[in-house]
Amino acid sequence: MTLTPDLDDFAASVRAWCAQHVPAGWRDTQTGVSDEEFVHFQKSWFAELLSAGFAVPHWPAEWGGGMSVAEQVVLYRELAAHDAPRLVLAFVGIHHAASTLLIAGTDEQRRRHLPAILDGEIWVQGFSEPEAGSDLAALRTTARRVGETFIVNGQKLWASGGMHADWCLLLARTDPEAPKRRGISYFLLDMTTPGIDVRPIRNAVGESHFCELFLTDVEIPATNLIGLENEGWQVAQQTLGAERGMTMVELAERLGNGGFRWLVDVCRQPGPGGTRPIDDAVVQDRLAQLEIEITGLRGLCRDLVERSDAGVAGPADPSIVKLYYSELLQRMTDFGAEIAGLPAHTQLTKPASSGWESGSWVLDFIGSWEWTIPGGTSEIQRNIIAERGLGLPREPTAL
Amino acid sequence: MAAENRDLHDELRAVARGLLATQRVDWSLMAQAGWIGLEASESFGGADASFAEVAVILDEIGRAAKPTSYLGGAVLAIGALKVLEANDSRDQLLTAVSSGATKVAVALPTDGGSRPRFRLDGLRLSGLAEFVPDAGEAEVLLLPTEESDGTPVMAVLRADAAGLAVTAQPVLDETRRLAVVSVTGLDIDNTEVWRFDGDAQQAFGRLLDRARVAVACDSLGLSETMLATTVSYVALRQQFGRPIGSFQAVKHACADMLVQVEVGRRLLDAAVDAVVQASPDATTATLMAKSHICAAAVDVIGKAMQLHGGMGYTWESGVHVYLKRAALNRSLFGSPAAHRKQLAQRYL
Repeated sequence: MTLTPDLDDFAASVRAWCAQHVPAGWRDTQTGVSDEEFVHFQKSWFAELLSAGFAVPHWPAEWGGGMSVAEQVVLYRELAAHDAPRLVLAFVGIHHAASTLLIAGTDEQRRRHLPAILDGEIWVQGFSEPEAGSDLAALRTTARRVGETFIVNGQKLWASGGMHADWCLLLARTDPEAPKRRGISYFLLDMTTPGIDVRPIRNAVGESHFCELFLTDVEIPATNLIGLENEGWQVAQQTLGAERGMTMVELAERLGNGGFRWLVDVCRQPGPGGTRPIDDAVVQDRLAQLEIEITGLRGLCRDLVERSDAGVAGPADPSIVKLYYSELLQRMTDFGAEIAGLPAHTQLTKPASSGWESGSWVLDFIGSWEWTIPGGTSEIQRNIIAERGLGLPREPTAL
Repeated sequence: MAAENRDLHDELRAVARGLLATQRVDWSLMAQAGWIGLEASESFGGADASFAEVAVILDEIGRAAKPTSYLGGAVLAIGALKVLEANDSRDQLLTAVSSGATKVAVALPTDGGSRPRFRLDGLRLSGLAEFVPDAGEAEVLLLPTEESDGTPVMAVLRADAAGLAVTAQPVLDETRRLAVVSVTGLDIDNTEVWRFDGDAQQAFGRLLDRARVAVACDSLGLSETMLATTVSYVALRQQFGRPIGSFQAVKHACADMLVQVEVGRRLLDAAVDAVVQASPDATTATLMAKSHICAAAVDVIGKAMQLHGGMGYTWESGVHVYLKRAALNRSLFGSPAAHRKQLAQRYL
């Protein structure tokens, strides 16, 4: 992308900011930290970014954002290039929760939560269940209406960051008689409500940020319904795609400006016998292929955000980006693990607050399945791309 | 891209698609449509448009897999003439090419090499270039040539010049017309040696950038058509009592084809933009676009043949026309592996 003078100035100001504010040596100090230290570090980094105007650039100006897409690309590029920590804990709040509130929330809900998110309110998504993964609409958690209150019972799975969350985006069945996509409602659930039991699940990397949520007679006031009763599925469909572009711009710039550069560095390290992987033609070829793919991904992401803002994004565009990013991340970290070789297997933990490509290549590779499986598996994304993007006949599914 | 440009491109695209769908697109029709002189300035009878508009036409010609001499006779010829020093002879030739009156071909290296294939020793010219697009029908040949000190210049010869041989080189792809251009020890006149405007190495490099993107446009067009054709086919073709496009094995393959096309589109937009702006990153952008799009096109069209089943393998279905053209494009002006190798020099 050719930068205009304004963007050049902006880039220079972000660079200057990064030089002053990115905590020195954070990778070392954040490796092997306790959960409490991690939360503290995340919250203070969020506050730093917020005071610079960099925490929620994608939000509308009236709520504290208002950056152009081109500026966001520059911001994320520079943050990645300066190896800034990522916002991990605030992620669901500033992306999923905010976009849900902005698209489908009431004014009162927005006023209640958007400023609170800027004050550090943490969110979790309560969508999946043991029997409702790819077939999310089969969810069984019930919300029974009693006057102006809903009584919720059930179990949620893969609620990432659940043990730190203040609020939950919850899908529950309000009409058990209706066809499965017509009887679901969308709620904002206060995690301090009695009856919520949060149990972390250890993932393949060894971390425990996924949680199970057990919900027993949990009361939600009807004012915390998002959208209309029994129309929660439609709200979720609408809001899930909308936030994808914003999240992906950041991740694509990370991949291009952080991950790829480290990969090249690894390839330049002399191995046994003093030979460098980079001098091998096969290694050169694979690096070039990855760089081309990352360049394509960055173009896709920018376009998705621009088209979403203009209201002309295609129905499969978010899925194309998600699928391509996930599989590219997997190819790239796989290659990193191959090149880094045995020494990479001695890195038993990676720095908390780092990106999906932290440079601990084996852990990054294992962790890449956290992209190809959640948020709609790669197989589900391909169904969506083929059916909504290309108009191919649907699979037989219940409505 | 600015909205007005997008509208202009949509209009140009619609007209091009209409013409290509209904008619045999010969040279005079392309001249009438104003495609040949698109990029030439108005003073030379052109439309003063940019390479971005040429890219739209190239994409559409690729979509239709039409045999035209647009690549050699217009895109490369006008591109080459535009980067040569202006003088009466150059201006006259540019005007004649823009109007379609004179056909010119440019004997660039087509094998991925980055140096001219012709040498001047004093005024004695020798060299050989193979697979030169549309050279067989050209009346004038532009031969990128190295002088003895390595400076690129352009030797400009009439096709009937004694000592110049242009020999058709039939290839499996029947939609392209390629030729070997050879010169052995021909004494030429000083007026037949034209100079590049400004930095000669850079100007010659820009011609190669342009050639790569032009072929990438064609390959993306080929992929787009084959994706659309395949999607229509698998939505209709019934087996086991269902359209085969409802099976995941088939629809996932189609989804992957679309993803490849979409990624290719972004790489192409960036490369076309870099060529239009003559950006310092243009070579990088064109290497990325050419290698990725031309490799992906062979995969996409190969999958199209597969998903069309036995019908796809017949001569009559025409899928083979696209597959052969895509395979040729992949090699023309350098292979994906060679281009990736060139990109990788930046990491060393």
